[in-house]
Amino acid sequence: MQWTKYVIPFFIVYIIQLWSVEFLSLSAIRPDFCVLLILYWSVRDGRFSGTIAGFIIGLLTDLSGAGSFFGLSPMLYSITGYAGGYLNGLYTKLSPLYFTLSWIGILCLQFLLSSLVIFQDLLISDLPLFWFKWIASASYTLGFAGILQVIFPIHRLS
Amino acid sequence: MRNLYIFVIKNKDHFVFFLSVLLSSTLLLKNDDPRMQVIRGKSADMVTFISLPIMWVKSLWFVNYENQYLREKNLQLSLQVESMINLEVENRRLQDLLDFKRQTNLKIVPTRIVNKGIQTNLISLTVDVGKNDGVNVNQPVLTPEGVIGKTIQVGNSASIVQFITDHNYRLSVRILPSGATGILRWRGNNICEIREVQKNVNIEIGDQVVTSGFSDIYPPGLPVGDVAGVYDERGNYQKVVKVTIYSELNFIQNAFIIIEYQDAMD
Repeated sequence: MQWTKYVIPFFIVYIIQLWSVEFLSLSAIRPDFCVLLILYWSVRDGRFSGTIAGFIIGLLTDLSGAGSFFGLSPMLYSITGYAGGYLNGLYTKLSPLYFTLSWIGILCLQFLLSSLVIFQDLLISDLPLFWFKWIASASYTLGFAGILQVIFPIHRLS
Repeated sequence: MRNLYIFVIKNKDHFVFFLSVLLSSTLLLKNDDPRMQVIRGKSADMVTFISLPIMWVKSLWFVNYENQYLREKNLQLSLQVESMINLEVENRRLQDLLDFKRQTNLKIVPTRIVNKGIQTNLISLTVDVGKNDGVNVNQPVLTPEGVIGKTIQVGNSASIVQFITDHNYRLSVRILPSGATGILRWRGNNICEIREVQKNVNIEIGDQVVTSGFSDIYPPGLPVGDVAGVYDERGNYQKVVKVTIYSELNFIQNAFIIIEYQDAMD
């Protein structure tokens, strides 16, 4: 296994995430570049690599300063890596629309699970705000994912 | 045995996934483990080191804006100090009359915010002071405008702060002048909500919100925000109060940590 093909992109994305989130923060909601990297890796290399990469990146993300729920990011990123791995080699078998909807669905699921844990009190006290938080955080990252599709489409890896 | 090995190898994806979820769940359940806190404290030190270059760039970026802001603030504070000196003299005289002495001493450590976490929601901060500076877990963090959080993990030279924007953050507050108390929580867009407020108290928009002093963490009277709205929930015996937070949370660069306070009444 070529470690450099994981370590270098991870290091670059991690630094971008660490340094840029503040500038890109909109009303305390930020894009998640790490989850995009995990999705790309899992589509390229499959479930096994995606899950391991997700766990390690999640752990490092939480070590970078998680206020509460330390351990949530490794779990969510592992799920994303595992689910994304199912898309490995599927682009030619699925229609482009289904393939695209699948990875969008995986990202939305990741953000839904994250919101269910982080905003659990909103789920009881203010459901519309909970949906807003979920949709806003998912859409923001999906916006960047959309831009990335123009530069480097995910289906090229599948 | 060989069959089992082949089975594991064949299904390694699922096993690794199961193991990852299991390990993550263990971490989630062991959040308060002292060994975990040591590791997180060390990692906060590391993140501070990595964040140093961007902190330097940011400080340059904001230097003009900050300078102008500080000049204005300086003028405001000078005027405030003048009036406060007069008030202090009057206060002392009245205290002497009442034979009543009250002193509140806060020991404060200034700090720079070096990192605001990389999660998709702004819920924590990393600051560049730690155990070496006398910081401990569960100490209040504030800006000149008011409370913004508390320390939850402390390394040698850095600490992680639970930010007021974390939906799991709670703060016991008092609304002045009515004196009503309640529990404050974040709602979004610089707005917080106070619940558990009695219905029979009179609260007006613009009333000041300060810490109640009921908590062991926060001294009483620290500013928090202003009342922005009051409403009664149907079927509830309590009021809900909306509060505007003073601090511009997205642009905070510096903060203070209260490492010691005495509230002695003689």
